[in-house]
Amino acid sequence: MKHASISALACLLAAAWLAGCGRSDAPAPAPPPAAGSAGPALTIGVSFETLQTGFWVASLDAFKAELGRRNLKMIQAIADGDANRQIEQVKNFITRKVDGIVMVPKDAKACLPVIKAANAAHIPIVLFNRPPDKSDAKSTAVVADNFALTKETVTYMIGEARKTGRKHKAMVLIGDLGDINAIGRRDGFEAAVREAPETIEVVARVPTEWNQEKAQAGVVNALQAHPDLSFIFTSSDFLFPSIVSALTGAGKYKKVGEPGHVLLGGFDGDATAWQMLADGYLDATGVQDVYFEVEACVNAILDARAGKPVPEIVKDPGFVIHQGNLKEKSARMWGAKK
Amino acid sequence: MTAAATTHPQPEAASLPVRLLRSEHLVLLLSALYFLALAPFTPGFASVGNLGNLLSTLLPLFVAAMGQTVVLIVGGIDLSATSIIALCSITGAAVASGDQGWLAGSPLAVPAALAAMLAVGGLVGLFNGLAITRFRMPPFIVTLTTMMFFSGLAIWLTRSRNIGQLPAAFNALGGKTWLTLLLCLPLAAGAHFMLSRSVWGRWLYATGHNPRAALVSGVPVAGVVVSAYVVAGLLAAVAAVLYTGQAESGSPVLAQRLLLDIVGATVIGGASLFGGRGRILWTLCGVVFLKLIDNSLNLLDLSHFTIMMVKGGVILLAAMLDALRRRLG
Repeated sequence: MKHASISALACLLAAAWLAGCGRSDAPAPAPPPAAGSAGPALTIGVSFETLQTGFWVASLDAFKAELGRRNLKMIQAIADGDANRQIEQVKNFITRKVDGIVMVPKDAKACLPVIKAANAAHIPIVLFNRPPDKSDAKSTAVVADNFALTKETVTYMIGEARKTGRKHKAMVLIGDLGDINAIGRRDGFEAAVREAPETIEVVARVPTEWNQEKAQAGVVNALQAHPDLSFIFTSSDFLFPSIVSALTGAGKYKKVGEPGHVLLGGFDGDATAWQMLADGYLDATGVQDVYFEVEACVNAILDARAGKPVPEIVKDPGFVIHQGNLKEKSARMWGAKK
Repeated sequence: MTAAATTHPQPEAASLPVRLLRSEHLVLLLSALYFLALAPFTPGFASVGNLGNLLSTLLPLFVAAMGQTVVLIVGGIDLSATSIIALCSITGAAVASGDQGWLAGSPLAVPAALAAMLAVGGLVGLFNGLAITRFRMPPFIVTLTTMMFFSGLAIWLTRSRNIGQLPAAFNALGGKTWLTLLLCLPLAAGAHFMLSRSVWGRWLYATGHNPRAALVSGVPVAGVVVSAYVVAGLLAAVAAVLYTGQAESGSPVLAQRLLLDIVGATVIGGASLFGGRGRILWTLCGVVFLKLIDNSLNLLDLSHFTIMMVKGGVILLAAMLDALRRRLG
């Protein structure tokens, strides 16, 4: 019995080994038929690194809706923040011979092996919201213009700060610096405040690594060190609950226009930010246009399949929503959707 | 006959379910049944390509789980395995990276990176083992705190940034399945031999069963425990080589979410959380079973939350089976 089970396991592994060895040397499959040709519905594999925040959940829902609207079949995989698991999942897509891949990579470097694998299998691959590192691997990335949109948002906040006629002490919550989006947002903030030294003095830069607990601890510490802090920008709206909690604890959570109001700004456009805008607590947030980005991803895959040229980067200009344009812009804000 | 196999004589009149529960081959049987049951309904599950994918992702987990097996046998647990993998990953990448590596472009880059990774893994294991034996601290607390410390250290050292541009020879260790297998097979055979045929293996089981009795019998218990953690650290370092090669970059958060898989696969395989029981072959079965579940549920296009719930349920069931086996004797 013991030897039989060892033999059975050995056979199973041997089969898998042969499969594994064969795989690396196997010739690439033929290029897919051009889009528009008659045949079964195309299948698109959608791989998300995480569903940790409302932005990713809303984006996945938008993909389901957009692909459904175009009669495309979607299969999904979530990597739970694990780059190696994501590599495995996208390779699964490739072995299932999907017609296109959309990927939110865990990071810019670890996604390169799977982009190369998709290239070898002639499957178009589009990166949603996070671009890859420079390499010879071919893909399209649809990304928000993090730098420009953040700069525009912070510039609006600075304009509101100027109206108070005094200088403000500012804090910025910085994301995970392994994420190029976080770097773009940090740089956009710095560029905006550099142009307004007479209005803004940055006294706290809180590294959050996209972690709410770290954000809350950082904000509480900064508020203790600088009780007169009156200007806060967060690199992502999902950190607002931490900021609100810390401000409430310090008795500084006031509506726009009320005495002692701390100017608040963010990035993303999630449901929390929408509620804070609607309730009058939030000054502005830079909104990533999820629907534009999702549509651009699907277009890029279909264009690539049709042999049309596809740019390496498609930029989502996004928009700034604030108390002055709330009604006009809310229809396009993904966080405002019920 | 190994120490694990000598645990308890089976009563002759035991019923089939009881015999199955006690069987060393339960997980292998479940894996085969699961595969056969799902293959017709799961698109691509039995395809050559998918089996290749499965193998390439199974091997690094198996190496990490082998280390966990050794530690569980001795009655401990190593929660720091994932942070060792992350720390080794950035260490190797920092040495070998063509971008900013200390030995960028040197022909010694890859061997030096491998040596550095093994040294880091071994040293963290040594620290764990010494803290547990010298200060008589619970393994759970020691390895939990070292997990936190070394995870934080890896992120602090790299400022959260991944390190890329690794040499092709390094990437091949994790990226080429046949090469990974060639690395893992002798490692597994060696670990199996050491556990089942060597004096050190017998000491491990004896220490795990009853450390006091082992000490009275002349087993150097403290040294055995320390050696188990060193071996676990070294195997975590090898897993780091494979994971880093797969991702073609060193990451300070590499394997951060893998602890459940590492401990889970080991326990599913039959290693006891109470010590004194476990084998490399059983762990391989546990890894195969866990990866089959993971892979098939993904291919079935189930939601992430469903997959997490099913995996958690299976690991819980395995832990319950472990407790039941102990009660059945």
